[in-house]
Amino acid sequence: MGAFNRGIASWLGRLPTVWVEGEITELRRQARWASVFFTLKDPADGSCLSVSMPRGQFDAVGGSVSDGDRVHVYGRPELFAARGEFRLRALSLEQFGLGDHLAALERLKQKLAAEGLFAAERKRALPRFPRKIGLVTGNDAAAKRDVLTAIQSRFPPASVLVGETYVQGPRAASAVIETLRALCREEGVDVIVVARGGGSFEDLLPFSDERLVRAIAACPVPVVTAVGHEQDTPLCDLASDARASTPSVAARLVVPDLNELLARLDRARSGLERGARRALERERQKLDRTHERLGRAPRLLVERSRHRLEQSAGRLRALSPKATLARGYAIVRSSDEIVRSGSAVEPGERVDIELAEGGFGARVEETR
Amino acid sequence: MSEPSFEDAQRELEAIVNRLESGDAPLDEALKLWQRGEELYRLCRERLENAEGKIEELASRAESARPS
Repeated sequence: MGAFNRGIASWLGRLPTVWVEGEITELRRQARWASVFFTLKDPADGSCLSVSMPRGQFDAVGGSVSDGDRVHVYGRPELFAARGEFRLRALSLEQFGLGDHLAALERLKQKLAAEGLFAAERKRALPRFPRKIGLVTGNDAAAKRDVLTAIQSRFPPASVLVGETYVQGPRAASAVIETLRALCREEGVDVIVVARGGGSFEDLLPFSDERLVRAIAACPVPVVTAVGHEQDTPLCDLASDARASTPSVAARLVVPDLNELLARLDRARSGLERGARRALERERQKLDRTHERLGRAPRLLVERSRHRLEQSAGRLRALSPKATLARGYAIVRSSDEIVRSGSAVEPGERVDIELAEGGFGARVEETR
Repeated sequence: MSEPSFEDAQRELEAIVNRLESGDAPLDEALKLWQRGEELYRLCRERLENAEGKIEELASRAESARPS
C-alpha cells in the first residue's frame, strides 16, 4: 500500500505547477508548525482544495491574508503519502487585486446576464399595500435604522419584520441568503428589502456573490435591494426587482405615503358629497319646473275652455233673429203673431215692425 | 297600496302635466289630474327633503370620523 501511495505521489509530482484561484477558508497557522494550512474554496460551486504552504513563504507574501479573501495560489499538486491525502503545495500566493475582482465580477455578470437573470421581464411589480415587509440587514444599526425610520415615517402602520444577519466578511453571502429564505417562510411577507450601508468595494463583494444573486432572483417574494451608495452596483441590484440608492428611496418603493393616501381619500369623499348634493339639486330644480307647469296647466285649460265657449256663444248669437235683423231684415207682427204671408193681413190693418234697432207701427196699404 | 318611488312619482307627474298641457282633457278630468299632480309633487318634495337630510347626516358623520 505504501508503494501505491508513493507511486501516486511520484506520478502527481510530474504534474506542472499551476495557478489556482479561490477563497481562503479554515486558515490554520501556528508558530511551531513548519507549514501553514488552509482550504481554497470555489465560491461558485463550493468545491474545496486543501493547501499547505511553508510558513516562512506564507508570512512573506500572505501575512495579512485571512478567511474569506480571494487569492491566487501558485503551487504543485501533491499526495501526502504518509496519510494518503491530496493537496496543493503552495509556493507562492497573491491576494486578489482590485483588477482581479473587477474582472471576476465582470465575468460573473456576463454569465448571469446570458442566463437572463437580469432581464427586465423578470422584474415583478412591488405590492401597493404590503401587509408585512421583510428587512434583511446587518445588526450594525445604521442601515437598519435608516430604512426602518424611512418606512415608518412614510407609512406609520407598516409592519416590518427585521432579519438581522452578517453583511460583511466571508460568511455574509450565505448568512444573507439564509435570512432571506427565513423571511420568505414568514406568513404575510409581501416584499423584502435587503439593506446594507456604504462600504469599501471589498465590503460590498458578498452582495455580488453568485449564490446570493441567484437566491435574490429566485426569491418567491419581490426583493428591493438598497446596498451601498448610488455609485455602487453590486450584482444583487441587477437581479432584484427594484433597486434603491438610499433608504428613503427604498421606503418610497415599498410603502405608500400615508399622508398622500389620506388626502386622496379626503378628496374622494368630498367629491362623493358634492356629487350627492348636485344630484339632489338637479332633481329639485326639475321637480320645481314640473310643478310650475302643473300649476299653469289647469288655468290654461280653463282659459282655453272659456275661449271655446266664447266661440260657441258667437256662433249661437249668429244664429239668433237679432243677427238676421242686423243684416237688414224686419219682423212684421199683427196682434203679436208674426206675419209670414200677405194674405194674413187686410188693407188698413195696423201692424208692428221690429228692426235691429227699435221698430215702428204701420198700416197696410194693400196686400198682394 | 305602497307609495310609488321618487322616479315613478316624478314620471307620473310629468305625464299628467303633458296631458294637461295638450289641452285635450275634459275639464272634470283635468281638475282630477291637477289634484293628483299636486299630490305627486308633495310626495316628491318629501322624498327630496329626506334625501337632503340623509346627505347632511352622512356628511357630518364623515366629518367627525375624519382622523385629526
